[in-house]
Amino acid sequence: MTVMEKLSQALPLANPWIESWRSEGKKVLGYFCTYIPEEIIYAADILPVRVRARTCGAGDTPMGDAYMTPTACSYTRCCLELANQNQYDFLDGIVSCNSCDQIRRLYDNIRYKAPFPYHYIMGVPGCVSDTTHEWFGHELTKFKENLEKNFEVTISDDKLKKAIQVYNKSRTLLKEIYELRKRDNPPITGTDVLNIISAGISMPRDQFNDLLTQQLQELKEKDGISDYRARIMIVGSMLDEPEYMKVIEDLGGLVVTDSQCLGTRYFWDLIDENKNPINAIGERYLSKISCPRMTGKYTEREDFMVKLIKEFNVDGVILQRMKFCILWWAEIFLLRNRLKEEGIPFLELEREYILSGAGAMKTRVQTFMEILEAR
Amino acid sequence: MKLLDEETFKKYKKMGRGAWGKDLALWKTMYMGMLNVFKEEDFTPVVEMMINMFLELPKARKEGKSIIMYPFNYGPEIFYAMDLAPLMQEVFSVGLAPLHINEPYIDVTNEIGYGDTPTLCNAQRPLIGAHMQGAAPVPDLLFFTSTPCNAIAMTYQVFQQLINIPTFNMDLPYWAYDQDNEFYDEKTMDYMIRQTKELVSWLEKEINQKLDEEKFLQTMKLVNEARENVMEFNELLKNVPCPMPSIAGFGNYLAMVTRGGTPDAVKVTKYLRDEAAQNVKNGIAGVPDEKIRIAWPYTHVFFDRDLLTFIEETFQAVVIMDLLGYYPVMPHDVSTVEKCYEGEAIAALDFSMVGTCRGPVEFYVDFVLNYVKEYKIDCVIIPMQFACKHAYAITRIAAEAVREQLGIPTLIFGCDPYDSREVSSETIRERISEFLTQVVI
Repeated sequence: MTVMEKLSQALPLANPWIESWRSEGKKVLGYFCTYIPEEIIYAADILPVRVRARTCGAGDTPMGDAYMTPTACSYTRCCLELANQNQYDFLDGIVSCNSCDQIRRLYDNIRYKAPFPYHYIMGVPGCVSDTTHEWFGHELTKFKENLEKNFEVTISDDKLKKAIQVYNKSRTLLKEIYELRKRDNPPITGTDVLNIISAGISMPRDQFNDLLTQQLQELKEKDGISDYRARIMIVGSMLDEPEYMKVIEDLGGLVVTDSQCLGTRYFWDLIDENKNPINAIGERYLSKISCPRMTGKYTEREDFMVKLIKEFNVDGVILQRMKFCILWWAEIFLLRNRLKEEGIPFLELEREYILSGAGAMKTRVQTFMEILEAR
Repeated sequence: MKLLDEETFKKYKKMGRGAWGKDLALWKTMYMGMLNVFKEEDFTPVVEMMINMFLELPKARKEGKSIIMYPFNYGPEIFYAMDLAPLMQEVFSVGLAPLHINEPYIDVTNEIGYGDTPTLCNAQRPLIGAHMQGAAPVPDLLFFTSTPCNAIAMTYQVFQQLINIPTFNMDLPYWAYDQDNEFYDEKTMDYMIRQTKELVSWLEKEINQKLDEEKFLQTMKLVNEARENVMEFNELLKNVPCPMPSIAGFGNYLAMVTRGGTPDAVKVTKYLRDEAAQNVKNGIAGVPDEKIRIAWPYTHVFFDRDLLTFIEETFQAVVIMDLLGYYPVMPHDVSTVEKCYEGEAIAALDFSMVGTCRGPVEFYVDFVLNYVKEYKIDCVIIPMQFACKHAYAITRIAAEAVREQLGIPTLIFGCDPYDSREVSSETIRERISEFLTQVVI
């Protein structure tokens, strides 16, 4: 079995890695956003798993429509649907935050309509200052104490430091993989990178790091991909459906970088291993490359996008946003202007969480590829 | 009923003459339009306050005062204490909705690709369209909060980028609902007090003027007086029959959100309180022969000025108050400057819609349950804004709680309170009529 095949085993919701973890009598918590500090959960010897909902059939969500309402994003509707169908019965609880209105209300609806044994929601400030940093440290401490109380564990500073090291290692390895994508002939597709990151959020992190190390070594020695038509960057929100990437890459657009929830924004910034662990975690999560929910940080996000475009020699950008997503529609409205100023071609795609209507998407991507080739 | 007399009308018309500045052209149009509308209506202190509010901006421009734009979920008292001219942005969307002048700006935002109606709230979105047309006021300063909703944080953030002016963002914290916790724990209070002080420091730096502490104390005394009036008014509405018509409570909200901290707000809230008290004393009902008492725990349908009158006249039903009209900020200790900061911190957390929606669903459910119990409600009507993700996604849970615990029915329907083209007045009236006749009566 190849390393990629082993990683792919982690892609289904309930996967062998999680089963193995649970067979040791250990707990699993689902979480919903990159602002949830996985390190604190892992330090409690609990497996943090990002909640995904790719098995939500054709995206039919009667329960989600009724409670989240039809104008909520399909990710939250699908999650509520699967929770109601007990498809997350491998989870011992969920942890959420006020990342966006839809995510925080998903948490409420799950508690009322499809509850788990454990629920926790933490407040993440919407802006960054010394005051909000201090407040967030308080929130992180409350969360740590809540885990300790509910799961009868002790989360010592040493355990936190170890978890930070483990997660930093993932971040460093993923960054190394991204470095390889800067090559003229990158050794890996965007589809595979998305699958790797999706595996990482669905399996024990130490084992993921081992596989990632092997994968990196393989990639370093591998011949690169040369038969692509254009180098693409994807920018947008939560996307864990590799079929979207595949549609783009099947048409010759090689995805070489991104600014996405399950991409650079998830792993780009490290946690300082020399500081008090809770403070360091707080600093990293508030100062990391942000989601549009963080006000006052737009210019930083925009500059980050442009920096990656240059470093990865990107030919065109695909701005993807899930239907009914407030944050990303507003963000993309601004990003368009910057891309125009920089002379970078872009394609804007509205999508649902589950890929549907691939035909229409193919037509638009195909046209975009032709535009990029003609330049 | 006291109408706006010819002499006063002319006086106000004259005050509106002259150039207000290009970006205030729409503001002026609204002023003139409202003046004409109010000419035919009861000239109450609420109306007078609104007229004066419109005149504040051109006056501020002439006097060289800085204009600060802020959203519908924060009181302006600190801005008044700092001698600024506060502009509550949503006055536009609410004021333009019944005149159907929102729609062209909504169309512009659609054309330029800034969201759509089911995604981004049209309480803020027309601002971007109006700005693109050069019709939105360009303030000197911008202030907004992280909650109650993403729509505020996002549209204000976009506006900030477009006009590039100094901006202050306040984080209103979210925290878990836990019966064992105190509502305002020490950390939360400290957090909010610090941010409030940071807001003042930021203003001082931007306008190069220190906060006059004496004026701050006086302003806080005024806002406190108005809050006391609102509390008494809210208590009086518990009487059966309800002593005031359906729209009355919204006047309190307008006063607190646009003129909080000024004598105008005291005058309006006192007037409403006195009217309610007088009516209770004289056995007068806001809706004659009241038969149905309706809880309306969301905003009004702003584009339909006559909807509440229709409900009152057709069903002898009274809407006790809307979610915004439910202004729950308690009077606070204003004996020292430090205490005033504390009061403002709590006010930011409790403000209309913020107090009920910034946290978990229990904040909203408890509010609705108490509302239904305390005001002896017969049914609940929630005209949900399609794009209001934070509220729309909890109304069903609230409706189930109200039905299961109190046996009271709820009608929830989607619409856009700012744009009649999404769901028309006729359709809304039909839905409400069916509900009231088939379920409630």
